[in-house]
Amino acid sequence: MRQYFRDVWRGVFTVLIGMRETWVHVFRPPTTKQYPHERFQLPPGTRQQLFMNADDCIGCFKCARICPVNCIYIDTVKAKPTEDLGKASTGNPIRQHVVRFDIDMFKCCYCDDCTTVCPTECLYMTDKFEASVYERSNGIYHFSKYEPALAMKMLAEQAAEEAAAAAAKAAKAAAAPKKEPAAAAPAPH
Amino acid sequence: MSTFGALGNIFKKQRYYFEGEGEMVVDLDPSAALDQRRDELIKARQSGNFPGDDMIVNMGPQHPSTHGVLRLELVLDGEIVKKVTPHIGYLHRNFEKHAENLGWNEIIPYTDRLDYLAAMNMNHGYCLAVEKLLGIKELPKKVEYIRVICAEFMRISSHLMAVGTFGLDVGAITPFLWAFRDRERILDLFEWISGARLLYNYIWIGGLSRDMPSGWIKQATEFLDELERNMKEFNRLLSGNQIFIKRAAEVGVLPPEVAINCGATGPVLRGSGIKWDCRKDEPYSIYPQFEFEIPVGEGRYGPMGSAFDRYWVRIREIEEAIKILRQALPQCPEQGDVKEAIPRRMKTAAGAECYVRSEAPRGEIGFYVRSNGSDIPDRVRCRSSCFVHVSLLDEISRGCMVADMILNIGSIDIVLGEVDR
Amino acid sequence: MTPELIAEKLQARFGDKILEFAKDAINPVAKVAPDAVHDVCKFLKDDAELYFDMCHNLSGYDLGAGKNLAVIYHLFSFKHQHWFAIKAEVPREGGHLPTVALLWRTAEWHEREVFDLYGIRFDGNPDLRRILCPDDWEGWPLRKDYVVQEYYHGIRVPYKEDWNNFDTLAANPERGHFVFQFEKRLPVVNGNGKAAEKSNQ
Repeated sequence: MRQYFRDVWRGVFTVLIGMRETWVHVFRPPTTKQYPHERFQLPPGTRQQLFMNADDCIGCFKCARICPVNCIYIDTVKAKPTEDLGKASTGNPIRQHVVRFDIDMFKCCYCDDCTTVCPTECLYMTDKFEASVYERSNGIYHFSKYEPALAMKMLAEQAAEEAAAAAAKAAKAAAAPKKEPAAAAPAPH
Repeated sequence: MSTFGALGNIFKKQRYYFEGEGEMVVDLDPSAALDQRRDELIKARQSGNFPGDDMIVNMGPQHPSTHGVLRLELVLDGEIVKKVTPHIGYLHRNFEKHAENLGWNEIIPYTDRLDYLAAMNMNHGYCLAVEKLLGIKELPKKVEYIRVICAEFMRISSHLMAVGTFGLDVGAITPFLWAFRDRERILDLFEWISGARLLYNYIWIGGLSRDMPSGWIKQATEFLDELERNMKEFNRLLSGNQIFIKRAAEVGVLPPEVAINCGATGPVLRGSGIKWDCRKDEPYSIYPQFEFEIPVGEGRYGPMGSAFDRYWVRIREIEEAIKILRQALPQCPEQGDVKEAIPRRMKTAAGAECYVRSEAPRGEIGFYVRSNGSDIPDRVRCRSSCFVHVSLLDEISRGCMVADMILNIGSIDIVLGEVDR
Repeated sequence: MTPELIAEKLQARFGDKILEFAKDAINPVAKVAPDAVHDVCKFLKDDAELYFDMCHNLSGYDLGAGKNLAVIYHLFSFKHQHWFAIKAEVPREGGHLPTVALLWRTAEWHEREVFDLYGIRFDGNPDLRRILCPDDWEGWPLRKDYVVQEYYHGIRVPYKEDWNNFDTLAANPERGHFVFQFEKRLPVVNGNGKAAEKSNQ
C-alpha cells in the first residue's frame, strides 16, 4: 500500500519535472524550417544530381566501369586520323566522339565513385536535388552534345567500318592457310 | 513480473557462470520444453481448428511499431503471448550475391544500405575486413582518427534514434522529436564532411573518400557541448520518468546465459549484465588509446536484462561516445593525405579468407570475406547482429502481453535493412 | 589457448575426422569430416579448456560451379576469449550436415539461412524452412551456377534493362535543371561493356 502511493507520487512528480522541461522549450527559437519557403544552406561538396560537361569528356569509360549500379551508358565513335578533336581543359587529348552519355538518375545511388575516377573532372555532382518528374523516361539525362540523328549515323558508319574490317580480316585468314599454313595457326593460349 | 503462459520461461531460474562458480547448464533442446505444442499448432494452422483457446495473430508487416517490414506470428492465449515466430525477408535484396559481381571497393555503397541508420559503422566494418585480407596494417594516423570520430558520431546518432523511437513505442512523443533534433545536427556534420546525409560511402579501403574540411572539428566540439546539455534534458524528461520506468523495467527480460547462447551482441548483451565490448576487449583501429567505460545493465528497477536496461545502456553509451569524441577531436591531426594508403590493385591469393568483427551501434557486425584471386570477391558474408536479435525475440517475449511486444521490438532496436540484407 | 593447441587437442580426440588444419591462414581453420561436425562442436562447447559458448558466425560458401559447397563456423569463447573456426565440405547435390542448433540457439537461424541460399540440409534442425526467400522460391540463390527463375506467380523475375524502350521525351523543355542536348532518344547500338557482361552471367 505504502509502495503504491509512493509510486503514484513519484509518477506525478517526475511528470511535473518533464513538463517543466517542455515548458522551457516554448520560449526557445524553433529548430524547424518551413522547407519550400526557407532553405538550408547546403555545404560545399554536397552530393546531389550528377552533371557532365560534354566539352571535356574524353570517353574513357572509367565512370561507367566503376558505377556499382550501372547507371551510366556511354557510346563512343573513334575519331578518324584526319580529325582533330582538341584537348580537354585539363590537357587530356580527346580521341573519341562521345556520341551518347546517358545517366539514369533513378538508378543512381549518389555514391560519388564516378566523379572521383574521372580524369578530366568533367563529371561532377551539383547541389540540385529537386528533380522529381512525372514520367520515368524524363529521369534519364542525356548529356552528349551530338544530335541523335548525327550520332546514329556515326555509330552506323563505325559499325559498318568494323564489319568491313572484320570481313577483310576473315577473308585474309581464309586466304592465309593456302600460302603459309604453319604461320596462320594461332598460338595456343 | 509479467505472467507466464502455460509453457513458462524455462531459463528464469538458471544462474550465469560469471557470477557463480558453476558451469553453464543451458542445453537448449527445442524438442523438449520449448515447443511442446508446436506440431499440434502446425496441424491446427493447416486445418483451421485451434486447440483450446490458442489464437494465431499476425503482427505486421505494415505495423508501424515493428520498425520496418517485419511480420510476427503470435500464438496467443487470451492476451498472453505463448510463442512468437518472426517472418523476415520482406526487404531481402541479397547483398551477398550483388557483392560477388562487384569489385572490392564498389561494394561499399551497398554496405551503406545494410544498416542505413549506422552507415559509417557498416563501411568501417567492411573496410576492416578487406584491409585485413589485403594485408594493409598501417594506415595514416589521420585516417584512423577520422574513422573513429565518424563511427562514434554515427553511434550517437543511431542510439538517439533508438531511444527516441523506444520512447515513442511506450507513448512518449516529445523525446522522439528532441532526439531527432540532435540527430539532425549530426547528419549536418556528416553532410559537410562526406557530402551525403545518410548513405555516405565515406570510409574506403585503406583511406577515406575525401579530406576533413577545415573548421569541422570546431563545429563538432561545439555540437558536443550542446548535446551534453540536451541529453540532460532528455534524461529528465524520459529516463527519470517513473511511469516510463515502471512500464519498461519488467518486460522483455533476457537472462545472460540465454543472451550468449542466442548470440546477442552489443547493447542487448550488455543490457543483460555482461561486460563485453569488442572496442575494449578485442580492440581494433585506435580504440585502445581512448579511455571509456562499458555500460552494463544494472537491473536497478526490476530484473536484470529488461527492456529498460537495454534502453539505459544506450543512453550511457551516448555519454561514453561523447567521452571518446572529447579525446579524439583535439588529437586529430590536421595535416596528412587521407588517400595515400588506398591500394592500387586489390588482389590476394585465391582462397584467402578472413572474418573480422567490429562494434556497430546495434551489436557486432562481422564480415566474412573470401577471395578467389581476381578483382572481385568470391564471397562476402555479413553476419548481422539484428538478424540474430530478431531470432531471440521469441525468447524474450514468451509469456508477455501483446502490448509488451511493442516494447520488446523497440528495445532490441532492429533495422530491417540489416536483418534481411 | 592458441588455435594450434586447440587443433592438436581436436586431432588427439577425433583422429582422422579432422581432415586438415590451415594454421597459416588469417583465421586458422580446421577442416572436419561432414558427419563429425556435431560431435566436434559439442566437444568444443563442453570441454572446460575450450568452452566455445558462442557461435559467432555460420556461413556457407561455394567453391565454384561443379565443385563442393562448404560451411564455415566461427566460434568464440567469452570465458577464455579465443577464436576457432571449423569448416566442412559437402557435395553439391543432396549435401547435408548434422545441425548444431541444439548447441547454440543462434545457429538455428543461420542454418536456415544457409539452407535457403545454398540448399545444404541440416539434419535435426527443428525448423528448417526458407527464411529470406519466399517459401516457394526455386533454386538456391547464392550458388555460383544459379539461374534465376523466369516467373514467380506471374511476376517476371530477371531484371531487364527496359529503360531503352521508353519513348522519350517528346520535346519537354522544362523537365529538369539541366540544359539537355537531346530531344529524342538515341537507340542502343552497343551498350557499354560492363552491362553486357553482367547480363550474360
